[in-house]
Amino acid sequence: MSYDPIEKVAKGAAEGLLDWGTDFIKKLATKFRDRKLGFIQDQKTIERVKEQYRSDELAFYKEYIKDKEILFLLKMGLTLRSLEKEKEEDRRKILRGKIFNKYQIKGLHIAQFVENGILSRYIGILIGDISSIEKFKEDIMNVLENIEKHVLFVRTKDTERDIIKQSFSITTANIPMIFIISGIASAAEIVKKCEIKLKELLKDYDLEKISSSQKETLVFKRILKE
Amino acid sequence: MELISLKQISKESKVLLLKELGYGSDGEFVLDSKREKVLDRYLEIPVKIDNMVIFPGSEIILDDNELSISKYLEEFGDVL
Repeated sequence: MSYDPIEKVAKGAAEGLLDWGTDFIKKLATKFRDRKLGFIQDQKTIERVKEQYRSDELAFYKEYIKDKEILFLLKMGLTLRSLEKEKEEDRRKILRGKIFNKYQIKGLHIAQFVENGILSRYIGILIGDISSIEKFKEDIMNVLENIEKHVLFVRTKDTERDIIKQSFSITTANIPMIFIISGIASAAEIVKKCEIKLKELLKDYDLEKISSSQKETLVFKRILKE
Repeated sequence: MELISLKQISKESKVLLLKELGYGSDGEFVLDSKREKVLDRYLEIPVKIDNMVIFPGSEIILDDNELSISKYLEEFGDVL
């Protein structure tokens, strides 16, 4: 293949791309080998990751959760939340895909539990009934390790009937103290529509709602009978 | 550590940089010295030249995503 430097420069200029000279590349490589340099795509991505690494919310979770993989998923949840806040929808979707591919649906649900702010609310409810720190830690780990027994993540393709059926099946099989139904975007609308039927179905539970324009979360707390 | 963005750098320059570091490319993916696709250390997916990040620590080439970068920071500490 022939090499035309003028064509190459013209192509680069048209695309707004920079060319590095050979000597410059050699200098960069030397600096890299001396561990003084790294090559990235977007500085913001590094900052975003570091921000979660040092976040107060993660520091709080670290106090009570020692499992490294779970903590990593919580961090991914915080990162998803940050991408959502910054309206980086494409990157958020890509990250969700990567989490799913590596940790399957359960891992993605754990991350989503944090992304939607449900874990912090869940902990808030647990704190209200705390008997000992050890029991508190056990309860947090129990919900994270068995998330599908405590939380129903509604998908856009789910129907009202699906939600009612799944809610019945989860609460009957597992009798959770706190049962949560969560939906985002169009799934949030489906959750809203189910609210009355769910209240009728889950008579042994008190309902607390967490609503925003894009999210709908129904938190059912089991009523303790005297 | 100084961090240089590859976002606005031409493909030709990125290929030359990879070559200088002992790697190559088939035009789309990063290849190792045996001409095999380099896999992201944490996700085990081939790394595309347009989406690569290169970090020190045995010359680690990763896919540019928050999961891989976060894993890197966990393994190597806050070196970036």
